[in-house]
Amino acid sequence: MNISYAWLKAVAPNLKGTPEELAERLALLGAPVEEITPVSAGLEGVIIGRVKSVRGHPNADRLSLCEVDNGEEVVQVVCGAPVIEDGGYYPFAPVGVTLPGGLELKRAKIRGEYSNGMLCSEKELGMGRDQSGIMLLSGDFAPGQSLIDALGLDDVRMDVEVTPNRGDWLCHVGIAREVAPGGVAGVALAPIPGASPLDLEVKRGEREVSHGGVTIRIDEPEQCYRFLGVIIRGVKVQASPQWMVAHLRAVGQQPINNVVDATNYVMLEMGNPMHAYDLGKLEGSSLIVRNATKGETMETLDGLEHEFDTEMLMICDTAAPRDIAGIMGGMHSSVTEDTTDILLECALFDPKSIRRTRRALGISTDASYRFERGVDPEGHLPAVKRAVEVILATAGGEVDGPIMEVLPRPWEASVVTLRPARVEQVLGVEFDGAELKALLTPLGFDVQVGDEKAGSRDLRVSVPGFRSYDVTREIDLIEEISRAHGFDRFPQELAAARPTTVPDHPLFALEDRLRTVLAGEGLFEATNPAFAPTHEGEVEINNPISMEESRLRTSLVPGLLRNVEYNFARGARDVRLFELGTVFHGAGAGEPPLEDLHVAFVVTGRREPEHWSGAGEALDFSSVKGLVETVLSESGWDEAAVKVPVAGALAEDHFVPASSVALMAGDGTSVGAAGQVRPDRLDAPAWASQVWAMELKLPSQPVSETKLTYRPLSPFPGMDRDLALLVPYDVSTSAVSDEIRGVGGELLERVTVFDLYRGDGVAEGHRSLGFRLRLQAWDRTLKDKEVDRVVEKIVKRLREGLGVEQRL
Amino acid sequence: MSRQNSLIQTLQGLETEALAAIQAAPEGDALEALRISYLGRKEGRISGILRGLGDLSVEERPSVGAEANRVKEALQEALKAREAEVTSGADEAETSSEDLTLPARHRWRGGVHPVNQVIDDIWRIFQSMGFVRARGPEADTEWYNFLALNTPLDHPAADEQDTLYLKDSVLLRSHTSPVQVRTMEKHEPPIRILAPGMVYRRDSYDATHTPAFAQIEGLVVDEGITFVDLKATLAEFARRFWGEGAKVRFRPSFFPFTEPSAEVDVKRMITRKDGTRGESDWIEIMGAGMVDPNVLENVGYDAERYTGFAFGMGPARIAMLRYGVPDLRLFFQNDVRFLSQFSTGSPP
Repeated sequence: MNISYAWLKAVAPNLKGTPEELAERLALLGAPVEEITPVSAGLEGVIIGRVKSVRGHPNADRLSLCEVDNGEEVVQVVCGAPVIEDGGYYPFAPVGVTLPGGLELKRAKIRGEYSNGMLCSEKELGMGRDQSGIMLLSGDFAPGQSLIDALGLDDVRMDVEVTPNRGDWLCHVGIAREVAPGGVAGVALAPIPGASPLDLEVKRGEREVSHGGVTIRIDEPEQCYRFLGVIIRGVKVQASPQWMVAHLRAVGQQPINNVVDATNYVMLEMGNPMHAYDLGKLEGSSLIVRNATKGETMETLDGLEHEFDTEMLMICDTAAPRDIAGIMGGMHSSVTEDTTDILLECALFDPKSIRRTRRALGISTDASYRFERGVDPEGHLPAVKRAVEVILATAGGEVDGPIMEVLPRPWEASVVTLRPARVEQVLGVEFDGAELKALLTPLGFDVQVGDEKAGSRDLRVSVPGFRSYDVTREIDLIEEISRAHGFDRFPQELAAARPTTVPDHPLFALEDRLRTVLAGEGLFEATNPAFAPTHEGEVEINNPISMEESRLRTSLVPGLLRNVEYNFARGARDVRLFELGTVFHGAGAGEPPLEDLHVAFVVTGRREPEHWSGAGEALDFSSVKGLVETVLSESGWDEAAVKVPVAGALAEDHFVPASSVALMAGDGTSVGAAGQVRPDRLDAPAWASQVWAMELKLPSQPVSETKLTYRPLSPFPGMDRDLALLVPYDVSTSAVSDEIRGVGGELLERVTVFDLYRGDGVAEGHRSLGFRLRLQAWDRTLKDKEVDRVVEKIVKRLREGLGVEQRL
Repeated sequence: MSRQNSLIQTLQGLETEALAAIQAAPEGDALEALRISYLGRKEGRISGILRGLGDLSVEERPSVGAEANRVKEALQEALKAREAEVTSGADEAETSSEDLTLPARHRWRGGVHPVNQVIDDIWRIFQSMGFVRARGPEADTEWYNFLALNTPLDHPAADEQDTLYLKDSVLLRSHTSPVQVRTMEKHEPPIRILAPGMVYRRDSYDATHTPAFAQIEGLVVDEGITFVDLKATLAEFARRFWGEGAKVRFRPSFFPFTEPSAEVDVKRMITRKDGTRGESDWIEIMGAGMVDPNVLENVGYDAERYTGFAFGMGPARIAMLRYGVPDLRLFFQNDVRFLSQFSTGSPP
């Protein structure tokens, strides 16, 4: 919402302070000012020039030579505008001036004639869009006068951010009520130049009012609460006077003509949107508020044709819709230079109805914006009177008859009970009745303090119309009290708090642990939005931003692979990323999708950072498996483990089956997969090393950390025995070590694989695996014989059970 | 000269001789030979004298014994000192062959995402003030995202957060506030939660917008919670997060689910480009307010008995301020050159 500083001071005559000070106050009242701009920025050097004579340029048909009086001398200026009035006053930019668009004026020779400056159009001055001609100024000026002074442009525009609850702030009077000394009592409308006092009668009807052959009727009282109309005959439609133009331009509003400008002026001043119809164009001289019939159409003021449905509210004459209620007027009955008689509308519509129609038609206007946020239901009569005053002063004409008002239901101010004890309960500070009254009254509330002797401290607060939308409950008044008292005046002492009944959600601790572990393992945490392209996701987004983000991901690895590509494209060879994030799967109709928390990583490049002592080997399956096992041990799954084959595992389709593994929870459910990423899953440059990844679903109820218990340390020495075993390729290492453990029983403290050998001396179809067995008892020193017996038993079982021979 | 005096003289002569030999010994083996020759149990010359004490009279014995022990200790001391000298000398000689300035052997360095680091830091502060963490689904319903939070769908307030819908009334939550409702539905007061999580809006990517971003919600509900508690808690947080010099300002604002509502601004001490220190402008860091009674009633709480406050902030925005990151999109590009800047420790 643009506010003119000069206009604000006009409606709050006792307002003090610079625009910056005002902005600070507004911020602390809840209406922060986003930007403060001088209206005249860049116009400092522009002056009033009077064109003394105009003649054709001798060498160019479309150019003319003007003799311009700049107040000191008469200079020649070349001009390209089609029409220039002898004796007219124009904005004149002398040589040396830089215009708002950045154009610096120099003495120039144009087709052989000198031009000493420029007569300017609105657009060149940054004052409007009109570039068709230079800007003829109406009024009395002195050549050489500064344009800023002459046009009253010495103003500042303040862009105030208005929250959606404060429709009453969308006008100068509304802002003035907050900042004027004394609040509402300090607000007054400024006199309109040339206006004379008016005495207008009001003629009311519940559904219909007529006067002088003109009828106004409301057919939809649930959508239109009030409709005021007044007839003005004999207006002369033309450009608005300078004071009006300056006010409108100061807030960025484009002037149109004196009638339309008057309605905009009143809306910007008092907040009530209005519309003026060309009375002569209204069939049956009527305005009827009704819903559109199916398929009804109308051309709006912006030249677009709209088709309506039966829930849209229209203002119609007896033939057709002439205005989309509260949103935009129709072309047919718009006020033009040919208009002589007008019918002025000031109405009140249901915010929800306006919002629905506005959204359905995709039109947003100053009027619809205000109606959606709530227009003062008590403000109509003053606004109509003000508009009439302005129109008579700027366009002439005479009011025909009374103000016609259709009012299906009289407006009643709501009264809210305010308990001082409740104020203290919420705000933590005690206020007595008198203090509360002193805080609320300047905001426009009518406060009756309770009579303690009569047994009640409660206050009865009557809400003014302009606050009837956002103040309906006691809590709304409490907010007003806190605001009026000043947030900064409340103490901020930290008090003790009772412990909460809510437990810390265990998934956060799990996430913390995994982050620490993976960052410690040398991976960087990535974050990706949960979106996926159509071919990847399961759950669809109804109104996606793009096709690439039209679904929700089911897996984290694809996003991480895109990140790896991004890094490859920037020359990074060593990329190690992990992510913790939500994935989504479809659920039953009408149900939200199912969500799982996943952890994933993607790694490529060298196993260790480059070092002068070594070659820097690339990551291989074994090191990736180590990382996977580390993650599994911290994953919150009970007894999760790496299993082969990968077939059937969750997320297996990202991986090359021959070099990847399934991740299984202790209960045998597949919770993920890890291994080498299928080459077709990403664009990798030729120099890139293999890309490895893991995708792991995390449990919704992670097992709490295993309870650790002390086991006695054996005081007796252990014995190591090495076994070189010839293991056929179809027997897995894990099968062999499981067998060894099974047979070894309690005496077998530890089994490790210390060697793998293939080649000479090893039978075809076999490899040689070296196992180191540590045997130990906690209650005695093991004897060689005892150890030999165990090892023999193991060798025998391996031979018989798995066909594994000892290599001697 | 008595035997006693002559023995003492002999001892002192041995001492002088031995100390000179020890000083001259080039390395450990020579020292060991000296030790044996003077102090050795069987052949040592000092030991020999000590052994011979038994031949002396009872009167002579103490003085000779004391002197012999003194010399023994002096020699042991000297041997130890010389031993240390020759050994350290040996070290110097050995290591001088290696260039100690060669780069060390390191493991890969990783790191937590900068936005999550900020979330962690924020969490730790609130944890110390008795908060616990809560979470809720990212895909939720209109009820939890809007209606239960006192936000009618046909109110302009619902426009401010352009929402991504899945189907019917199911949507991607546009803020973390639904967690407030879900937590209160499950638990009775006192409530004291922090709810970090991802939220989604129908925004295109630019320097200050991404369609998905992290948010942190906070909620406190109990008997006797007031606007003073809101201010105190959030000012304490700001002071601890931004440092002692930080100033906090509360401005009235509007959120449908809190009343009164506030924006919280902070003014930090910053180092400017020219190296001077000074105060920043006021920067908006969070929204907050007293929980609207309608929200409490929607979860079945007695709004006349319980009051509370809620707050919400954007950790990515805070991370931008803290680290001087100019563009939100950098947080989603996952460029390792970017991520590695937020990891402390040694290179690479």
